[in-house]
Amino acid sequence: MNGLERIFAAVDFAPADRPAFVPQLFGHAAATGGVALADYLRDGRLLAECQLRERERYGGDAVFAFMDFGVETEAFGARLKYYDSQYPDVVEYALAPGDDPARLRQPDPSGAGRMPQILRAIELLRARLGDAACVAGAVAGPMTLATQLYGTETALFLAVDDPARFAAALDVAAAAALRFGAAQLAAGAHGIVVFDPAASPAVVPAAFFRAHLLSRLARLRVGLRAAGARLFWLNIAGPTADILPHYAEIGADIATFDYYVDPATARRQLPRTCLAGNLKSLDFLVSAPARLAAQARQLSAAFADRGGFILSSGCEIPPEADPADLLALAEAAGAR
Amino acid sequence: MDTAASRACAPLVAALLAGDHAAALAETRRLVAAGLAPERIVTEGLEAAMGRLDDKCTVEQFNLLEIMLVGRAVSVVVRELYPDGLPPARGKATFVIATLEGDVHDLGKNIVRMVLIGKGYRVVDLGRDCPVETLAEAAEREGARAVLVSGLISPIVPQVRRVRAALRARGLGGVAVVAGGAALKQLAPADLDVDYVAENAFDGARYLDGLAADGAAA
Repeated sequence: MNGLERIFAAVDFAPADRPAFVPQLFGHAAATGGVALADYLRDGRLLAECQLRERERYGGDAVFAFMDFGVETEAFGARLKYYDSQYPDVVEYALAPGDDPARLRQPDPSGAGRMPQILRAIELLRARLGDAACVAGAVAGPMTLATQLYGTETALFLAVDDPARFAAALDVAAAAALRFGAAQLAAGAHGIVVFDPAASPAVVPAAFFRAHLLSRLARLRVGLRAAGARLFWLNIAGPTADILPHYAEIGADIATFDYYVDPATARRQLPRTCLAGNLKSLDFLVSAPARLAAQARQLSAAFADRGGFILSSGCEIPPEADPADLLALAEAAGAR
Repeated sequence: MDTAASRACAPLVAALLAGDHAAALAETRRLVAAGLAPERIVTEGLEAAMGRLDDKCTVEQFNLLEIMLVGRAVSVVVRELYPDGLPPARGKATFVIATLEGDVHDLGKNIVRMVLIGKGYRVVDLGRDCPVETLAEAAEREGARAVLVSGLISPIVPQVRRVRAALRARGLGGVAVVAGGAALKQLAPADLDVDYVAENAFDGARYLDGLAADGAAA
């Protein structure tokens, strides 16, 4: 089986030669490829080359055309500060606290900010890999983009103080996610990962998720499916046990669960949805190859009787992670 | 303890827990007009609310939005009672807090500061993107019982590991180092060379309560 077949087998709860293995390796690929993170985050060709090298080294079943959470808000007009070896920060938001989101013009993915570089990366990755591995596009989810447009503190207070304006910001964000995601699918992505860390119950209560985010994510899934997505991967880190059951309502093909949620709970909450997780991301900062390999084997065993599982991390594996840890993990996963 | 002051402060506690800053401000003004001393409003209102919130966060999910709303309400009340800042003599112990150089995310730090001020501690906030040496210098200058470092992103980990040495270089080996935040809390104290890694603001505050109590007993 190849990587894409393995992932579809996991989604379909079908037999496979081994569990799918998709560690969340984004900026780490820059180190593997020997380039500065700052360059990786601005050049689609470099990103594609580094992701391919990362896949050759660790045997992952997918590659990610993901830069950082600043891509969309920068395309809307936010100003970012870039660093050599860490992800950029927003230094000037696209929206001031008093601004109406209606003033924003939806960015054109073919020309706005770094969006064209993402599309270029996808074209290159798909041209090289064909259907041998999953080429995953990525967008910021509505809640995360709303917080990136206003700033987290402003956005969260707005959600309480001016719910109508906040809802408008969510709608703008959801529309941008659909447009950018559709462009990525047109460029060749097999599916879209919707990263929405700000939707985590660590940030907003589960009731907020149900009231404001559930229906928007469901509509986003429908829109992306219509645009050709074969996979809709909902990726929310943190203590998501209370919102996981809603992922099935949304129609997610793959659901990330983080280290806060044990495999038994995740299985119970989502009995017929493929689960991806749940290695602890920052464990990779303390070099412990044997421990990580043991965790990987335990996780795979926990899903051996049902399938529907992708061995992954619950969040991004940090760019500074020790390659020895990743090699041990890949060997334990049977990917090398 | 059910005293007249605590009964009078009950609506303020309710407003704080609801995160309703407008109602909290109105209640504070009502209490001041009724002659209740600011000190009592802090102990019977703010500290009581913090205690209730601590209990709530122990058994329920801690989430940023609700804590931010409470934090805003607490800040409004403190500003109303002490427009020039909390008097130093009121503080039970002094803590120095910062987000270290390279990390500009300070929401988590601000919440910890709010919780500690609500509990009556004196908190010296060095802001974000703070060099380790500045943190150690402030700990010495302010006579801090502990320094608190918050980190949302993984590249900050090497900076955190330098804090203890910077304190020791100034003869401050007895100053505790406490870490917290989305990235740092995934690591063990030994991995970061700190005394304690807090799961959330209230967990950290409980640890600091213990430190402060030990200091007072000594």
